[in-house]
Amino acid sequence: MHQTGTASTGRVLQNVHNSIVTVDQDLNVIPMLAESFEQSDDGLTYTFRLRPGVKFHNGSEMTSADVKYSFERCANPDTGAVNFEVFNAVESIDTPDPLTVVVTLNQINAPFLSRLAENGAGVIMPEGSGDVQGETPIGAGPFRFVRREFGNEVELERFDDYWDGPAYLERVIAREIPEPTVRLTGLRTGELHMINDIPADRIGEIEDAGELQVVKWFPLNWDFVNLNHTFEPFQDARVRRAFDMIIDKEVLLEGALWGQGAVTASPSYPTSASFNADLVQRPQDIEGARALLEEAGYPPGSLDIVFKATTNYPYHIESAQILVEWFRMAGVNLTIEQLTWADWLSQCWVDRDFQMTMMNFFTLWEPDFLYYSLFNTVGAFNYRSVSDPEIDALTEEARITVDPAERAEIYKAVQQRLFDEAHDIMLWFRNGSIGAQPSVGGLDTIVHPNGSNLNFHKVWLNA
Amino acid sequence: MAYIINRVLSVLLTLFLISVITFAVTNILPGDVAMMIMGTQSNPEALAGLRESLGLNDPLIVQYGRWIGGLLTGDWGHSLVFREPIAPLIAQKVVASGVIVVMSMTIALLFAIPLGVWAAIHRDRWQDSTASTSALVGVSLPDFFWGIMLILLFARALGWFPSSGFVHPADDLLGAIRHAFLPSLALGLGLMAHLTRMTRSTMIGILQQEFIRVARAKGLAEREVVWSYGLRNAIGPVLTVAGLQVGYLFGSIIVVESLFNYTGMGWLTYQALLNRDIPLIQSSVFVIAAVVMLTNLLVDLLYVVIDPRIRLS
Amino acid sequence: MRGFMTGKGLLGGGIVITMLLVAILAPLFIPDTFATRMDMRARLSGPSLDHIFGTDQLGRDLFYRVVLGAQTSVMIAGAAVLMSVVIGLPLGIISGYYGGVIDNVLMRLVDTLLSFPALLLALTISAVLGPNLTNTIIAIGIAFTPFLARIIRGEALRVAQMPYVEAARAAGTTDLKMIIRHVLPNIMPAIIVQGTISLAFAILAEAGLSFLGLGTQPPDASWGLMIQASRDYLDVAPWTALVPGAAVAITVLGLNMFGDVLRDVLDPRTQT
Repeated sequence: MHQTGTASTGRVLQNVHNSIVTVDQDLNVIPMLAESFEQSDDGLTYTFRLRPGVKFHNGSEMTSADVKYSFERCANPDTGAVNFEVFNAVESIDTPDPLTVVVTLNQINAPFLSRLAENGAGVIMPEGSGDVQGETPIGAGPFRFVRREFGNEVELERFDDYWDGPAYLERVIAREIPEPTVRLTGLRTGELHMINDIPADRIGEIEDAGELQVVKWFPLNWDFVNLNHTFEPFQDARVRRAFDMIIDKEVLLEGALWGQGAVTASPSYPTSASFNADLVQRPQDIEGARALLEEAGYPPGSLDIVFKATTNYPYHIESAQILVEWFRMAGVNLTIEQLTWADWLSQCWVDRDFQMTMMNFFTLWEPDFLYYSLFNTVGAFNYRSVSDPEIDALTEEARITVDPAERAEIYKAVQQRLFDEAHDIMLWFRNGSIGAQPSVGGLDTIVHPNGSNLNFHKVWLNA
Repeated sequence: MAYIINRVLSVLLTLFLISVITFAVTNILPGDVAMMIMGTQSNPEALAGLRESLGLNDPLIVQYGRWIGGLLTGDWGHSLVFREPIAPLIAQKVVASGVIVVMSMTIALLFAIPLGVWAAIHRDRWQDSTASTSALVGVSLPDFFWGIMLILLFARALGWFPSSGFVHPADDLLGAIRHAFLPSLALGLGLMAHLTRMTRSTMIGILQQEFIRVARAKGLAEREVVWSYGLRNAIGPVLTVAGLQVGYLFGSIIVVESLFNYTGMGWLTYQALLNRDIPLIQSSVFVIAAVVMLTNLLVDLLYVVIDPRIRLS
Repeated sequence: MRGFMTGKGLLGGGIVITMLLVAILAPLFIPDTFATRMDMRARLSGPSLDHIFGTDQLGRDLFYRVVLGAQTSVMIAGAAVLMSVVIGLPLGIISGYYGGVIDNVLMRLVDTLLSFPALLLALTISAVLGPNLTNTIIAIGIAFTPFLARIIRGEALRVAQMPYVEAARAAGTTDLKMIIRHVLPNIMPAIIVQGTISLAFAILAEAGLSFLGLGTQPPDASWGLMIQASRDYLDVAPWTALVPGAAVAITVLGLNMFGDVLRDVLDPRTQT
């Protein structure tokens, strides 16, 4: 899974693969394909003891060579893997015996282990299978890949030799139905057993009716409003703070998502050790924002801003419309441009050609992944061109800080700085939801602790 | 014969022009497929590598030549996002859309012919305006609006038909018809107006003709005169108009198939367009345009067979 | 003019005139912020005294939205059809009037473009240009041009072959004079009829593009966009779809009826 699409059927496809390590409910790194792992005292050597007898879908047994192959493949940016930077500090990967892998770093990379538990980087695939992964993914997960029609269907079947016991379901077919009404109708008429993402305004109604099961979890992802730091007005922290003050996050959450989530001033996973709970969002203060903008040299009527929002997330379009009203009150003229996902990616993500936009990210619970990629000047996800020496220094420092408590404090400082400078406008964590027929069992196991993967291993269907 | 040769030559020329226009337009689309494949994991180096390996860096004329050469030799290339060979992909989707096109046309004609005949018999009376107005209602609302209404009524409230998906007719004929029914009905409602109008005016013309008067004079029942003598002669022109509506239909299926998740040509083309899958856009748009043009040609040729006067001009 | 006095003519004409008046006058009397003003405590509320047509998912008043949206929808449709006439007219006249090679070349091109379904063409153009109001007009305008050019060409050909036109040409009247004096006035009825019917299709096309996110941009109100936004709430708040749906249906119905009557009156030859 080193190359991943963004379509939601991709989350079902994740059942094909297993990672070397994973996380438990409290986000501690725990064994998966590795039976155990240990870190040397100097923090430079990681030794993984592999689980014996793990079978891949092609029948071969997992050995240290497969792990070495998978890591090296991911480390090579040519394969298109963005996680390659996880392996930046890796000096060597040794395989002293078929069930032992030793990874040696040339400098401390504190988040290394937990990054392997994040999506992607720690996935183990059979040696030499890299070229076929794109078309026919093959791994050691509970389900094997059968077929996929992009944008429509993915079909998986049970892998009987799964190391952790075969799954209950014989087959999983995931169909992409972008229209919420059609999706919900399909569930209600029994055409579908389960749907992902119940339309936010219907959750209450469906829970009350009691005919269907509803699984909700928090958080699925988080949203923020982006300001392009190369756009002149946004180079002034006062303007950014003023923009933050214009937005009433509670009302916006209610308006765009019918309250299905919780506002936050920090994107850190709320139960993680590094979450800075002291931060409170700026309350809406249109007058204050006007004054601040005036002070920065932008009197009412002088700012005309294009807000690019992608139709891929309809609630972003709703949010944008609400923002337009508030910004008008603050004397800022906001114009919405709706973009398809392809256009958003090309214009905002890659070309960084935007003034203001909005995006959401899966809960990147691993703080290095979150703060380094998104906010470091050279971060892979820094499409807003944020460049703050203090944040750069802090995120670098965290990487070489081994003590977890100390690291957590550094990340709290990062959050404080992000809030003070209002580099982006943090909005909320959004709830995840699944609707299912009464016949579906094992729903309590379906959501991976990271809040984004859907795990079908222990889901069943009553006759 | 000369007429037919002439037509065939002009068809080839038009196909060529279609290919040039399709190719030109798809190449000025913003965004690119490398980005879609990599999504939020895009980074400049990986993108550059992917673009190179996808052949996106070659000069346009080379890309065009490669595409046309492939089209002619049956190698339509690979879809970049579906990661499948394009020719079989399109062949499969054409079947899906074919089911919808035939069904929506059938539904439209089943309504339009009786309505049009009824209007013609009662020309300029209340029945006439009732018939043409009710047919117009169908075309007065966007087809996706009908689509959503039909889902709520027939799938949600009544539970008679599935709300989404496609079933291949070779696997399960009844299932295929059930899945295609709602999208076909949504499209059929839009087609009805024009066909009703055509049926009405054709029937009015025919009912004034000599042989109808003779039939009436012979004492045949009015019902038989209209439905058997009259309609038999009106069918040709009405079917001709129906054939010409195929172009309109292929536009509408983009929206309707997407709404119903019915994976036919309209859905495929929209997906290709959304994902900037240039090779797939090129081939699917080309196929749609070619199908529309060939249908029109077929209609023209049928007309020559039906109406010998064309041959003289 | 007797033809207008039928029930169909009066109804169609009445609808068209009413819609035009609403589109022109509403923005003069109602501030445009009324269409975007939100009330989070009154979301998806049904028709009431406060909101006679109810509210949408953001608590915006549907009466103001549909009334002010008339301007957007009518303007886009009108400008798009005007554009296709402006481009199609010279193409059609030159082709039909001169015939020969020019005609062959132009009509081959038009036929080619006609093979592309109009919505597919509009969709692609819109994707190329990027979504906004002007580009929506351009996309629909270009997509409709081949069809109008074809109709105009047929008419121009017919007029050019009329005996008195041929005679005048033989007598040495310049082509420009011929076109302005004889061809244009003679093909005007057909253009008006086709233009009216195209308006109906343009309103539907705008709705289709907006449905796919490539038409009018929010928070501007256009009927197509309103229907698009309502689709998630249809079963709980049907008025959100019915109000703009009715506006589209009535307008398109009116245009079609008016077009029919115009055809009867102005252009009886092509009566169907």
